[in-house]
Amino acid sequence: MLRLLLLLGATGACAAAPLTFETTPLGTLEKPILLRTYLPDPGLEPTVLAHHHRAAKSPKYNPSKGQDVQGEYDMIKVLPAAIAVNHGPALSYVFDTVECRILYAWQGGFLDMFPYWGERQGGRRRSFDYVPRLVGNLFYLAKPQESPKKTFTGYTLSKNGVPTFHYQSDDDLETHLTVRPSDEPLSFELTLTNPKTNQSQTQLITGAVVSRHSGFDRTIKIGQPDIAAGEQVFLAYGCIACHSTDGSKGHGPTLAQLFGTTRELENGNLALADESYLRESILEPNAKTAKGFPPNYMPPYQMKDKELQSVLLYLKSLSSLSPE
Amino acid sequence: MKNFASLILLTTQLQLLAASPYLVEDIPLPDNCPPEVGAIDFAPDGTFFVVLRRGDVFRATPLSDSTEWEWQHFATGFHNGCGLDAVSRNKVRVTQMAEFTEATDTDQDGSADQYRVFASGWGLSGNYHETNAITDDGQGGYYIAVGTASHNGPTGEYTLGEYSQFGRRGRNFAAVKWKGTTLHCDSKGRLTPFCYGFRMHNGLHRDANGNLWCGDNQGDWRATTPLYHLKKNQFYGHPNSLVWDPNWPAEQDPLATFRADLAAYNQHRTLPSVQLPHKEMNRSAGEPFVIPNTFPHFPGQMLLPDNNGTRISRIMLEEVNGQWQGACTHFLKDSGLRSGNHRLRFSPDGQHLYIGQTVRGWGTPAEGIQRLTPLKNKAPFDIETFAITHNGFELTFTDELSHTPKVSELQFNSFTYQSKWTYGSPQENKSNHAISDIIRLDARTLSIHLKDFVPGKVYQLDLPLLESESGQPIQNQLFYYTANHLPGKV
Repeated sequence: MLRLLLLLGATGACAAAPLTFETTPLGTLEKPILLRTYLPDPGLEPTVLAHHHRAAKSPKYNPSKGQDVQGEYDMIKVLPAAIAVNHGPALSYVFDTVECRILYAWQGGFLDMFPYWGERQGGRRRSFDYVPRLVGNLFYLAKPQESPKKTFTGYTLSKNGVPTFHYQSDDDLETHLTVRPSDEPLSFELTLTNPKTNQSQTQLITGAVVSRHSGFDRTIKIGQPDIAAGEQVFLAYGCIACHSTDGSKGHGPTLAQLFGTTRELENGNLALADESYLRESILEPNAKTAKGFPPNYMPPYQMKDKELQSVLLYLKSLSSLSPE
Repeated sequence: MKNFASLILLTTQLQLLAASPYLVEDIPLPDNCPPEVGAIDFAPDGTFFVVLRRGDVFRATPLSDSTEWEWQHFATGFHNGCGLDAVSRNKVRVTQMAEFTEATDTDQDGSADQYRVFASGWGLSGNYHETNAITDDGQGGYYIAVGTASHNGPTGEYTLGEYSQFGRRGRNFAAVKWKGTTLHCDSKGRLTPFCYGFRMHNGLHRDANGNLWCGDNQGDWRATTPLYHLKKNQFYGHPNSLVWDPNWPAEQDPLATFRADLAAYNQHRTLPSVQLPHKEMNRSAGEPFVIPNTFPHFPGQMLLPDNNGTRISRIMLEEVNGQWQGACTHFLKDSGLRSGNHRLRFSPDGQHLYIGQTVRGWGTPAEGIQRLTPLKNKAPFDIETFAITHNGFELTFTDELSHTPKVSELQFNSFTYQSKWTYGSPQENKSNHAISDIIRLDARTLSIHLKDFVPGKVYQLDLPLLESESGQPIQNQLFYYTANHLPGKV
C-alpha cells in the first residue's frame, strides 16, 4: 500500500496539490497553483515585449537532402519565460520574468495543457507548438509603458502558496510584486512593495472582456476523408515525432515512398505495404516490425474511422507507387 | 500441445543464457502522479529527491520496501526541470527551461517557500526540446548541458535572449544563446561557455578524478551514440552551437560550412572517446555515471543509460597516448528494466542503483523510478577489463575461464563512422580481422593478437558462450572497442 504524506494547507507553503494526469489543473481562491510553461501570447502589442529579442523567419530545411529548400518556417506567438498563476475560476494571470510585470489576466479557467502534456495513455502531445491554450475570459492585457530593463531574481510563496515576485532595476532598486483576486468583477489587486522601506502601494486593476477561450480544440473536423484531413490527423497524433515524410531517418521508418513497396521485416519476412499493411501498422503496430527498428516500440493508435481513412489517403499521397 | 512445446523450448533457452545478476524493482510515486522523471538526486543526509517534468519535486527517505516510501511534495512550478542538485534536505537546485533555480524550505515545514534565481543567461526560443542538465564542479559550482531545439517544434517570435539566424538552421538548432554548449556555472551563478558542439547531451557527469563526461543522441552530426570526454573550448561535432563561440567568424553559417567541407569539420572536432553502435548498444545516451567503489560489481567503470531502450551500457575506459577511449557492452539489458533510462544515482551506501526514466514523444511512454540491486556480491562472469595493446587486445574476465578459447571461436570485425548532416551514419570500411594468436596470460586474462590492426576504427568482438571455471555462462557476448589510438610497443 502506497502511503502519501502530502503536507498541505496549514503545514506547508506548497499549498496546491501535486499535478496529476489532468490536463486542466486548477488552484483555489485561497490556494493558487503556479505553473512555469511556455505560455500563449494572446495578442500583446510588440512594445509590451520590448525586452524580449525578436526571432526571424528562417529557410525551410530538408533533413533528407541536408539542404535548405523553398519556403520559410513561420514563428509562433509564445512567451518563453513567463509564469502562470491560477486562483481557481476567480483569477488567472501571467507574470513575465523578462518584462517583470503582469502581462495578462483572465477568469473562468486556467490553462489547457493537453497540447504539451498530452494524453494519459500514450503520452502523445497533440499539437506542433506544444503550447497550452487559455481557458476563460481574457480581461486584461498589459499596455506599452516606458520601462528600463529589470532583472527577475525569484519569488517567495506565502503559507497558502501565494507568490510574491522579486525583481531589481539597474539602480539596484528592489521591488516585490503580489497579485490577489478581487471581489470586483474583471479585476485583480496589484501590490508593489519596496522591501528596503517596506512601503507598498496596492491598486485595483479592472479590465473588460477582450476575448473568450475554451482550451485546445481536440476535435478534428472531417467531412469526407481526404488527404488534407489526413495530414492534420498525422500532425495531431504526433506521428511526425518518429516518422518523417521526406525520407529522412527517425525513430521509426520514413513514410515517404512507403506505400506500394515491399518491406523487409525484422523477422526476415517480406510484406507488401498495401492499405491493409498500413492499417495494421497503425492499429496493431507490433504485429510486424520493419527491419532495423525495435519491436514493441510504437504504441497502438485508436482513431475514428474517418481519421484512419484520411491518414491512409495521406500516406498513399506520400508515395508515387501503388501496389499491384 | 504447441504451447507446451514452445514452453520447453523457452526453458531450455533460458538455461543456456546467463541469469540476470540484478533485482529490478519499481519505486512508485504517489497515485495519479505522472512519473515523468526529469532528474533524481540524494541529499547529503540520504533524502532522495525527484523532479518531475510537469514541475513538482518530491522527496522521501528511502526504505527497503520499495512500495512503502512516504513521498512529500517538496516544491512545485518548474518548467521541465531536467537537472537537480539536492543541496540539503531543505534545499534543491533545479535547471528548468529558462533558468537555474534554487528552492528552499526556509521555515522547514516540509515544502519550499523561497525560489531564487541561482543562475540565468542562456536563451529560450519557445521550442520544447531545449532542456538542461547539470553536474557539480566540485567547487560549489556546476557544469550545465544546454540542449538544442528540434525541427519537430517551432521557434517563437519573441525569444529569451539574443537570436542568431545561422544558429536556427538545420534539424537540431541553436537559435538562441548557448544551445548545444556546455556551460560552467561558478558558485555565484556566473555562466561562461566551457565547450561547444552538442546536439542533445542529456546528462553530464564529473568523475572522482575531475574528468567531465557526457553522451549524446544519435542523429544529425552524430553517426551513432557517443561518449565524450569534455575539455575546455573544444568542439564536439554538432555545428550549430558554434555561432555562440566567440572564436567562430561572425556572419558565417557553421552548418553550411561543415556540410560543404567534411575535411575541415574533421579537423575542427574532437572525437568521441567511445562510440556505441546505436542499435546494438545504446540508441540515446542519458547521464553517464561512474560506479562507486562501494558497489560490488565493476567499481570505477562507467554506466551509460539508454533513454530509448530497455538497457544500460557499461563502459570500460583507459587512457591511451593521453586520451581516453575504451570498450562498451551491456551492464543490464531487459530483465525488468523499463525504457526511458536517463538519470542514475547510487544510494549513499553504494549498494543500490536508482534509475530515473522518461520518454516523451517517442514510442510508448516508459517512465518512473526503478532500483537495481545486485543479487550476489560476486560480479557476474563477464569481461572485466578490455585493454588495447599495440597488436590487439588484452581481455581480463571477472572469473577464471573454463578453457582457453580457440582462435576460430572468437570473431573480430572493425568499421568506421563519419558523422555528418544525415541522421546517423552507416558503418563503413568494414573489415574482418584474423586472429593470429590467443595467449592465456593467466587464469582470467587472454591476450589476443589481430592481423591488420590499425587505429581510427571501432572493433567489434563476438564471443562464444564462454563459461567460467565454476560453470557460469558469460553475461555478454558482444563488445565494441573504439580504437582512436594504438599504444606503442612496450
